[in-house]
Amino acid sequence: MRLAWHAELLKIATVRGLWIGAIIATAAMPLTSLLVAATGRLDAADTLTTGAATGAIVGLLAYGVWGATFAAGEYARGTIVVSLATVPRRGVLYAAKIGAVAAVAGVGALVCATTALLGVLAVTPPGQHSLGDPAVLVSVVLVVVSVTAVGAAVGIITRSPSASVAIVAAAVLLPNVAGGLLGRFQPWVVGASPGTVITQIVGGAQLATNQTYPAGPWAAAATMVLVAAAVAAAGAIALIRRDG
Amino acid sequence: MDLALGPSGRVRARMIPAPAGDRVAAAIVVEDATKVIDGVKVLDRISFTARSGRVTALLGPNGAGKSTVLRAILGVDHLSSGRATIGGRPFREHRRPVQVVGAFLTPDAAHPRRNARGHLAIVAASNGLPRSSVPHALELVGIADIADLPVSHMSLGMRQRLGLATALIGDPAVVILDEPHNGLDAAAIRWLRVVLRALAEAGRTVLVSSNLISEIEPICDDVVILAGGKIRAASTLADFVGGFPGAEGRVSLEECYLRIVGGS
Repeated sequence: MRLAWHAELLKIATVRGLWIGAIIATAAMPLTSLLVAATGRLDAADTLTTGAATGAIVGLLAYGVWGATFAAGEYARGTIVVSLATVPRRGVLYAAKIGAVAAVAGVGALVCATTALLGVLAVTPPGQHSLGDPAVLVSVVLVVVSVTAVGAAVGIITRSPSASVAIVAAAVLLPNVAGGLLGRFQPWVVGASPGTVITQIVGGAQLATNQTYPAGPWAAAATMVLVAAAVAAAGAIALIRRDG
Repeated sequence: MDLALGPSGRVRARMIPAPAGDRVAAAIVVEDATKVIDGVKVLDRISFTARSGRVTALLGPNGAGKSTVLRAILGVDHLSSGRATIGGRPFREHRRPVQVVGAFLTPDAAHPRRNARGHLAIVAASNGLPRSSVPHALELVGIADIADLPVSHMSLGMRQRLGLATALIGDPAVVILDEPHNGLDAAAIRWLRVVLRALAEAGRTVLVSSNLISEIEPICDDVVILAGGKIRAASTLADFVGGFPGAEGRVSLEECYLRIVGGS
């Protein structure tokens, strides 16, 4: 498993587009947060921590797309054949693949959150906003890792970069856009959607009741992780059962 | 393995040792293999054995099922029924699989934006091979001087050589090659001929599919002929061609093959 995981990390490191993609995804959140803070668009009630998290949705969308294109690209280019011929235990290959993208996303999200906080701190006039609780930014790491793993799993399920990117984008953005169509299920679905989970944990922008998970922010995070695990399991089944 | 394809096309040959340690010589056994895709039976109860110390040629017209058999042996595709084993076990059950089986299925198996060195480094890392195996494999197939060129800038022949390097990097006991001659220049074809023979003479199992029958005939010991997803012949080369009376002495494998599968 360790060898396969190392090989998957090497796959990312040896293609310029893949590691540049990870860097862009890492830069997306702090740049967005910085833009919001620098243009004075933080609410009076915002803390520096909530300000740092304003760009989180951009970052997690970027990482989700990155995970999807990494995994689906192997099918699109036919390189999955070599992967299967060198690591024929498909469960191991799958775990290594998901583990590699999750590791990159985890480190990237940690850098995202830290640099976003430092950036917002640097551009905000002293004394205008309190620091808040930076520890809650760990939710950014949790959600980015989950969304990236889901992206990779969807990439393996669909075997199509464009389809997997569309699905990831829909999963991240659609709950907030089309939540009204869900009726009484709206708070359960929208409240557990990736972007909203971060908002609830960080405690930034006020969410409407029908966008807030009824069982609390950490229960919302747990639900999101469970859904991500279910998608990841579906990806494993797809890889194990299908022809390469 | 010490059989390098030199820059001038000359083969620098030394004796290839027998498989070492747990990489014991291993036969490929395919038993009653059937593969159905979308209701179409592309393999129909295929059975044959590729033995160690011999080159087995897998022949057949386009669409006969050659690649499907090779993919099934490697577990890339699942069989609908039947089984394929290497050394008595399915390929996926081998530890360090690259050291047991070296496979070449397609010249397009490397990411176009990755270079040859990076591609081989990934294969080596996935099976715990030493880093030194990468430059050795690059030297072996004669592409060390373009090791840092993206695969998308390589010709078909160079990508073919990279595929062969991928197959041989683990110094495997079994070598499975699908149409390895495609796109190779004369020097590389000659090198491949020498390598395949040397591998077999060192006790390794070599299973190679090809449409270049005149090229495969001088080096193969056994032949398996597929057509329409069924085995048409499976025997030693001598027995196979010996079964066809020629007008003037021995008939060629190509002639026998065409009589079996049809065509003029």
